[in-house]
Order: sequence, then structure tokens, then C-alpha cells
Amino acid sequence: MNIFDWQNELNRDGHRVVISGQPMAMHCHHYNINLQKTLEETLGVEGVQLLYRSAEESNYDSLQHLFNQYKKIRSIKSKLEMASLLYQNCGLGIIHFRKVRPSSAYIASTSNHHVTGWLAKHGRRETPGCHFTRGWIAGALEVIYQRPLGFYIVEERQCKMKRDEECIFHVKER
Amino acid sequence: MAIDVSKIIHAVMEGSKIRESKGIIPLFGVYLSLFSVNYYNRLSFDFEIKMGQQREAEAKILLIEAAQECGYATFHGIRDSWEWEQVVAPMVENKVDQIFGFVAVAVAFGWGDLAVEEIVAGEKLVLRASDSYEARGYLERYGYAKSEKCYMLQGVTAAFMDLVYGDDYPDGCFAFATQELRCRVKGDSYCEFVARRSSD
Repeated sequence: MNIFDWQNELNRDGHRVVISGQPMAMHCHHYNINLQKTLEETLGVEGVQLLYRSAEESNYDSLQHLFNQYKKIRSIKSKLEMASLLYQNCGLGIIHFRKVRPSSAYIASTSNHHVTGWLAKHGRRETPGCHFTRGWIAGALEVIYQRPLGFYIVEERQCKMKRDEECIFHVKER
Repeated sequence: MAIDVSKIIHAVMEGSKIRESKGIIPLFGVYLSLFSVNYYNRLSFDFEIKMGQQREAEAKILLIEAAQECGYATFHGIRDSWEWEQVVAPMVENKVDQIFGFVAVAVAFGWGDLAVEEIVAGEKLVLRASDSYEARGYLERYGYAKSEKCYMLQGVTAAFMDLVYGDDYPDGCFAFATQELRCRVKGDSYCEFVARRSSD
């Protein structure tokens, strides 16, 4: 699939950074992990939920916008490819949609920005910590299967922040 | 020599198109990611809302501190990087130039049209932005507010001064603190950040 020309889509609109016209910000692992830690420590479960929902909503909007622009990308397979290409090209990591159905999915991430960042700043943690990627996956699948926001629940069963080999995500209907 | 902002922006944009095999963007000595400004805005502003009126001040402090600590570590990494050495360092003749270099990188990262309004060496830094992603995002989602909302830029402004005029890394963080005296969400025409020594 080479319809999506990533290098041309990442651009500037004056002082703003845009991908396909949508405003983006570049941030490094220090900020992303600091935000995660602040929310987890201050609000607990509610903070985790906020991280998840924010990623879900913003990825839902971003992908919706992209699929509207790239009308030739129609099949589920090519939409999943485009989503993982976006994940990788945004520096978020590598994601593999290994087994995906409309009502459930099994997804793996062999490396990602938040894992690299967390381990660099804080080392191993005891609980799964890829809340951003969980939300990102939920938003992606809701757009791809044309479901409303909040339709899917994504659980992380294994996490590299715990030193598991891969991050493994299971998706089911809420 | 003046800092050439467009040269720095060009270097960041070109560098941000390079990926290593793990899908990470290693640039200017840090791991960069690109994500929608809506994500960061929702996270910050909904965090503030969830903390409620009683903990509003605490929420602001936490968000500013998270950004200041990040800005301190991030721009330390940036200043130590190969890319800084190649692109920015040849234009830097003194400490004030370093601040201009940091601001150019922040603009390149898409944080807003930041510009240096005033620098008093070792004492004060004033930055202005007529369009930061935080103020724009707040206005779009919630409309006008009674208090300033650019928490990330408040933290980062102080971090620039910490790095240049604070104790040597890693002991200089929080030597400076920022007040956002003007903010577009309050109806001002631009956001203004004034960093001074924390004890002042």
C-alpha cells in the first residue's frame, strides 16, 4: 500500500506542524511519561481512564479525517495497514494487528514510545502501562469498523514495561 | 551571529522523517513522538476539571511542573545532541543565543509561534505567542476562561532559564518559575510568559 505518502503528509502550516492538515505537536518521552505518571499518581484509575479516552478520541478523529481524505483505502486490511503505518511514522512504535475481527482482536506491539520512555525514566513497573496505546487501538478499530467511540474495550495482557516480551492487547466489545 | 530559526525548523522537520527499526524517532538526543494537539489539550484540561475546584491550584502546579521537568531534561538532551552541535551550536555565541536556539526548537516542535520579547541575563525571560496550541485548543473546546491555560509553555519557559542560568544539570531545575501574565483564553491578544528566579 503506497497510496499514503507519509513524507509529504508531514508538513508545516506556518508555525504549526500538520499531518494531512491536522495540527500535531512533537513531544519527547520526558513529557509523555511525566504526564502519564502525574495522572496515574494523582487520579489513580480515573487518571488511567483519562489517558485512555484522550488517546481513543484523538486517534478516532485523526484516522476518520485521514480515511475521508484517502477514499481509495477501503478494505479493512488496507485501513489496518494505514493505521499501523501512522503509528510507526508518528514515532509511536511498531504495532501488529495479528488477529482482527469486528467483535474482537488480538494485537501486539514489539516496541513503542511509551515503553522506551518509561523504562528509560523509571525502569520496570509492576502493572501494564501502555494506556495510550490501548486508547489508540480502541479509537483505530472504532473508525475502521465504523463503530461509535467507546464501543471497544482494550486490555493489555502483557506489557514490556513489566519486562514481558511484547505488549499484547485484547479487544472486545464493551 | 543571529539564530536562524528557519534552519532549525528545517533540521527538525527533516530529522522527524527518519525512523529507526523500532518505530521510534531519535532526534536531538531524545525520543520524539508526533501526536494530535487535541490529545495533549484534552489530557491537561480534563485533568484540571477532574481535580475539581478545590484542587484546581494543585492541578495547575502539577501540569506546570511536569512540563518544566520535561523541558529541563529534554532541552538538556537537545543541547548535548549531535544535531545541536551541527546545526545550532555554530550560531550560538553566548547564553542568550542558547535561549533563542531553544525557542526555535520549540517552534519547530509545533508548540506555537513563540518569540523572545525580552531577556535579562540570569534574571528574566519574556516569551510571547499569539498562537499556542494550548490556548487555541482551550478556546476551541471550552471558550474563554478567567485564568491562563498554557501550562506546558509556562513550564518550558522556566526550564529554558533553568538550563542556561541555573546550577549545572541536573541540579538547576526549578531555579526559575513562570507567570503567564497574558493569555488568549482570557481575551488577551497574545500569551505572555515571564520567567524569573523562583525566590524573587
